Amino acid sequence: MNWSFVLSNAITLACIYGTLAIGISLTWSSLGLVNMAFGFIFALSGYGAWLASLNISAQPAVVMAAGILTGALGGLIVCLLAFIPIHDKPNFPLRALIATLAISLIGNQALLWYFGPRAKSLPKLFGNWNADIFGVIVTSDKLGASVSAIVLLTLILLWMRSSRRGLEIRAMMMNPHAASIVGIGVRRTGFYVMALTGSLAGLASVLLAQTYYVAPFSGITPMVKGLSIALVGGLGSVPGAVIGAVIIGLNEALTSTLLGGQYVLITQFLLIILVLLVRPRGIAGLLDKAREA
Amino acid sequence: MTDTAQPTWIDPTDCHYPEAPAREAATNPHLSHQVTWNETRAFKPRLYPVGRLRYYYKWPGHGGALWWRTRYWPTRRRVLQIRGEYNPKTKRREKTIVDKRPIWWTLAFIAMILAPAVVPSAGWNTVMSAAAVFGIYSAINLCWMLIIGTASIYSLASYAVVGAAAYGTTYLAIQLGLPWWMLPLIGALIGLAFGLIIGLPAMRLDGFYYALLTLGVVELCRVYVVQSREFGSATGGLYGAPSYLPASLGQMPRLLFSYYAALALMVFALVVYRFIDGKRLGRVLRMAPEKREAFAQACGVDFVRARIMVFLISSTALGFIGGFYACHFGGASPNLFSFDTVLLSLAMLVIGGIGRSEGAVAGTAIVVFIDRVLIDLGPLRYMLIGAIMLGVVLFLREGLFGIKRQFRTWRDKKKSERRATRAEKGGEMLPEEATETEDKDQIYFRRFDKMQRDFLKRLVTDAVIEEHRSRPLGQHSEALERLLIYFRRQGQVDKYAIMVLEEFRAYRIVALSGHRGTAPRVVEDRNYATSDEAYHALFLRRVQDLLES
Repeated sequence: MNWSFVLSNAITLACIYGTLAIGISLTWSSLGLVNMAFGFIFALSGYGAWLASLNISAQPAVVMAAGILTGALGGLIVCLLAFIPIHDKPNFPLRALIATLAISLIGNQALLWYFGPRAKSLPKLFGNWNADIFGVIVTSDKLGASVSAIVLLTLILLWMRSSRRGLEIRAMMMNPHAASIVGIGVRRTGFYVMALTGSLAGLASVLLAQTYYVAPFSGITPMVKGLSIALVGGLGSVPGAVIGAVIIGLNEALTSTLLGGQYVLITQFLLIILVLLVRPRGIAGLLDKAREA
Repeated sequence: MTDTAQPTWIDPTDCHYPEAPAREAATNPHLSHQVTWNETRAFKPRLYPVGRLRYYYKWPGHGGALWWRTRYWPTRRRVLQIRGEYNPKTKRREKTIVDKRPIWWTLAFIAMILAPAVVPSAGWNTVMSAAAVFGIYSAINLCWMLIIGTASIYSLASYAVVGAAAYGTTYLAIQLGLPWWMLPLIGALIGLAFGLIIGLPAMRLDGFYYALLTLGVVELCRVYVVQSREFGSATGGLYGAPSYLPASLGQMPRLLFSYYAALALMVFALVVYRFIDGKRLGRVLRMAPEKREAFAQACGVDFVRARIMVFLISSTALGFIGGFYACHFGGASPNLFSFDTVLLSLAMLVIGGIGRSEGAVAGTAIVVFIDRVLIDLGPLRYMLIGAIMLGVVLFLREGLFGIKRQFRTWRDKKKSERRATRAEKGGEMLPEEATETEDKDQIYFRRFDKMQRDFLKRLVTDAVIEEHRSRPLGQHSEALERLLIYFRRQGQVDKYAIMVLEEFRAYRIVALSGHRGTAPRVVEDRNYATSDEAYHALFLRRVQDLLES
């Protein structure tokens, strides 16, 4: 068993799933919305990138930008349908959860209906070369995916830390009610957050499509992975999501080397259950009642 | 007095001298007081029906007959909940059926039993197999409704429990050659074990953490089943479970038999639902709804225990249904664990309304009809289901069966809004003030006074003021006369008066205090040379006060 290969694979996947997990986590903590349409946004942005590569240009920057923009658009659609109309209505979290599930059902079927069940493949964004890092052979797509995920995530986190909009989003994460009292528009921030997390899903989609394909239902498994990472890390915490991604990635690598690939999910969920039994709100989650509304 | 452009004034004293012609003079145009009176007294608000409609049919009945009540075993409930009351208008005894759901259930059962007779023969196979699926799915959804609605544990793994039981029983049946009736019983055991495993985290996790975790469990089961060779990864499912159908039947009786068997399963699930939700466990959990758990706990309600009990019982029932599922379909397929199944069944619950058994059954009927009968629509039918689900979630609070309550809430809101707009405001008393006023004449006086002031305000014109300026005393037009009469008969408190400082030289406007021994106060620091000037200045002050009131 090639340890270095497995490890590099796990790190790449952890980067991509971590991107998704941060998106899910941000949505939950700032809007109180569990976005189950994340898989749909993921698949939609994959198709957006694919269309761009066919019709505009196969330049890596164009494809990536198209994926990210389509993801942001998907996020805005979800925001318009599932957040804006019901965010001040009774029983919002459950209704929003079901609304996003419905959007996911409609959207995935629409993708299947329009594009057909055949998987599409994106052009290679990062060329076809190998790099040798400390004796470990890393293929270009993995290295490119990890590096671009880390770079873009860092940019977004810096933006969240330093900009006015980021301040608004962080205020919503701390206390949405107080944020709305001091004049932060809940709906406006909803648009920012959903566009941002949608673009994160688009980024993850483009990056993952380097290894896998774009298909109508390709978003479900990444969404479940992202959700579980967000759960382990603690919903609403970016460092928690990073730690969760590393732990899940390590678990995946270790399990598939020591036990075999089919046991990955089993060990993963046993790990998640264990972590949640010890810390019911995740590794970095707040232990008090984090979000009431 | 007429309302022509240039009305004339006729000297009323001329009637004493009928031989001489009446003296006439031009005067100011005048607005009849009747106009303001009519306008004020007109009934302006829109008329709405008074009281409430009678939404319930009132059955006639003697009071004595109310005490004849059939109670059914093993509860102490009556078949129909009937409320008896006297009608205060007709002085007769009346009976109202408070809860009509038993009637609807009975009608629905009769319809379901007779349904095979009216299904068109063209699509008989499709419709009957769909109807059997409806029976099984509604049984599953009823148990799930117990978990989500009664226990408020947001578990998405109910179909995973069913699937695990179906796979387990099929595997055991193939290995050990079990008869068909063993399968649901073994399935119940498997369901209990599975429920114990996934119910354990539910004690510590709340709400969405648990939902997401169970979603992961479903995905785990799916991946495991798809990859595992013992569970038929090659054949797309594990088949070979014994069927409960007698082997000698033809195809049509087989479908009919399986439909009635599925219906019986649904009745079983309804009984389970009723015995958990309607009895002790359900009562305890209704005491501890979301966000009021702390209060319930302080009252000594052990709601966590009750929730876990409900979860375990439902899981056992789900396992039983899973065993039946294996008998019915001859095995199990990984489709039970797919994300789409979770989605569609959640759609069933949500469309009907969470927390009601009729919601689970009706929602299942709608979704199964779209999914299994309208097959020609292709993927469009999933979009239809999704659109219904989205519409229900966005517009309805509690699904289809909550429409009635939501509509009533909305209607009451609208009613009270209209009632609020109907109240007239002005110089009248506020309702609280009116109830606390000893002298009720004051209420009517204020109302009349306000109306009078409204009328007099309309009489004030430049012509009237000019008339007063030119001739403060003497014969006046009707408009001016009415204004002056109103001003003169005001109370003494703060009434304007003219003080003579020096006869024919200096006059000054003061305001009377209205109390003996208290001197009038000086209103303005200005002297008037003639009495007429002073009269007119005082008139202008009063007119200004009137217009400002």
